[in-house]
Amino acid sequence: MIVVNYLAAVSLFSMGLYAVLTKRNLLKIVMGLSLMESSTYLFLLSLAYRARSTAPVLLNPPHGESASALARGDVADPVLQNFCLTAIVIGVAVTGVFLAVAVRLVQHYRTLDADKVRELRG
Amino acid sequence: MSRALLSSLLPLTVAIPITGAVLCPLAARISRFAPMVLSVIALLSSGALLVCMAPKVYSGRVLSHFMGHWRPISSHALGISFAADAWGLSFALITAFLGALLILYTLSELGELGPKELGGYSCLFLLLCAALIGSGLTGDLFNLFVWFEVAALASYALTAFFLERPIALEAAFKILVLTTIASFAIFLGAALIYGSTGALDFGQIERSLANRTPAVALVALGLLVGGFATKAGIVPFHGWLPDAHEAAPGPVSALFSGLMVNLGIVAIARIVFEVFTTSHGHDVLGLLMVLGLVSALGGALFALVQDDLKRLLAYDTISQMGVLLVGLSTGTSSGLAGASYHLIDHALFKALLFLCAGSIVHMTGATKLSEMGGLARRYPSLAGAFVVGVASISGIPPFNGYVSLGLIHDALRSSGQFLPFAVMLIAQIVTMAALGRAAWQAFVAHPSNEELAHNEDLRPGMIVALTALALGCLAFGIFPTFALSHFAAPAASALLHPGDYGRAVLASGGAIPKLRVSFDYWNPGDLVAVASTILLAIPCAMLAVSKGHTTMAVRRRIQDGSVNDYASYLVSGMLIMLVVLAR
Repeated sequence: MIVVNYLAAVSLFSMGLYAVLTKRNLLKIVMGLSLMESSTYLFLLSLAYRARSTAPVLLNPPHGESASALARGDVADPVLQNFCLTAIVIGVAVTGVFLAVAVRLVQHYRTLDADKVRELRG
Repeated sequence: MSRALLSSLLPLTVAIPITGAVLCPLAARISRFAPMVLSVIALLSSGALLVCMAPKVYSGRVLSHFMGHWRPISSHALGISFAADAWGLSFALITAFLGALLILYTLSELGELGPKELGGYSCLFLLLCAALIGSGLTGDLFNLFVWFEVAALASYALTAFFLERPIALEAAFKILVLTTIASFAIFLGAALIYGSTGALDFGQIERSLANRTPAVALVALGLLVGGFATKAGIVPFHGWLPDAHEAAPGPVSALFSGLMVNLGIVAIARIVFEVFTTSHGHDVLGLLMVLGLVSALGGALFALVQDDLKRLLAYDTISQMGVLLVGLSTGTSSGLAGASYHLIDHALFKALLFLCAGSIVHMTGATKLSEMGGLARRYPSLAGAFVVGVASISGIPPFNGYVSLGLIHDALRSSGQFLPFAVMLIAQIVTMAALGRAAWQAFVAHPSNEELAHNEDLRPGMIVALTALALGCLAFGIFPTFALSHFAAPAASALLHPGDYGRAVLASGGAIPKLRVSFDYWNPGDLVAVASTILLAIPCAMLAVSKGHTTMAVRRRIQDGSVNDYASYLVSGMLIMLVVLAR
């Protein structure tokens, strides 16, 4: 079933990339980047999954499991989950800056069209 | 100080500037100069710590520290390591001291801003410097990604620092889009490497890739190199760079160009040489060579015909980053020593030139070369500083560019790569013509009909910064043997002995063999090359002055200002790299 996750991640990534490459609306570009970002989280969490594993918490193991058995590898990989947590925090900050810049651009140019915001060229 | 003590002080070199960054907006409540003073103190104390480590590191030791003493158990590292080798330490050192100098300059140029602005500015500036020091010293792939993101966030805000200028916002949007895509590439690359090797520590990754490089790891390599090449402004990942430099304040452009773009090169070298050892027959060095040559020539050609001085310097940065990549991709000791020499040189001369451009804007309000002219009579000392920068960048002895370019050219000649050598020489001629034309039009040529404003003369902070940088350019040109044996050769050695670096990171310290690199200062070949490039650069510059404007249509078609197009350049570059590497 994990294959479905990978397929979903790839299609989300492609949808986001499509938006970034073809949409001229500033907010749609930001949304495309957010989609790409979410798809990387899905991909990483799927990489961390192992068949029939539990959450990577060693304290109070679930019934029938011992902490040492969990530590030997019957848990989802916590390192990749940590990656995602870190990246989510960074992603929120970046999206915040993105939207702030987009709002200021709209105030200056009175348009969301990226093609009308092209003073710097050549 | 003992090695153990020095190693445990490593995290402090990043912690001090970050603490300073947090305190800056608060300090702005006391006085509007307090945050600037605080940031100079923070950077200088971080720099002083790095200087204490320098003798050990440059004599061939690697200092390594695991955060919270989470040491590796039977060579499996869970903790985050910080490791100072000569390659990373050079970058960290130049960041700390150049950063302090740039803040001093900012105090002169932007000192009239309000306390809130100055507090925010110094906070972002310190964060960016901390991120650069961290990325130079970190020994952990994911940590490198985090420093990349910290640097990126600070750079977005610094680009848009003049919020009231529409072009600053436009540039900020472009740097945001491109750097965010790059960060996805690095993030995925790090995850794929972790997935295929189960390691994040550079030492441990190197060890598990030493025998066998799986295809997944090669895909990861392509993603990482592409991501960091975006930060370095390598063609075709460069779309954001000229815009960001044109829109940002002078000292911020100097920080971006002198230090921040180098993050990309430092990380690429670390990943290609110290993590993926190059002996397994993959094509990454050839790829870097092509990217480097295209950037070196393309950046120089675009610089040749620019009218905006800061944009011209920005395109030249693309060219210089290409030169650095070419030096790295030779893979020989003299090429790598030349690249690590050029890294320091570029920081010095490009910061000098951007500060000159910033001073011109500050004193006359002119940004375009066609508006300037005859500035040498009004500001002779500024003209002197600019000429020093131009001579250094053009590789004219006795300035520093001559040594580093000479080393890279030597490496190309001695390994028989004559086509790249020829392209490098052409790029050199075009660079010289571009910068020479800028110096001529700004300082010597007859002023255009309208009279330039004269706001004021150079302020003390500007004079100190310009003098220090010009002297730095001269010093690295006059004492090449000292600089080579004490800074550049150890850095090249660290890159050439990946196994030793990896072992040292895991074992909390270790040694790297010494490497001898010699440079023949009076080599007739190099001197003749310099003389002939000067002769060829003069007609090239004259042609650019008379016919430069005719290229406008072509330039505007390639660099068309559309963020979608820049993103598609980036993505197609990345795809080509992945196909070449993983085939």
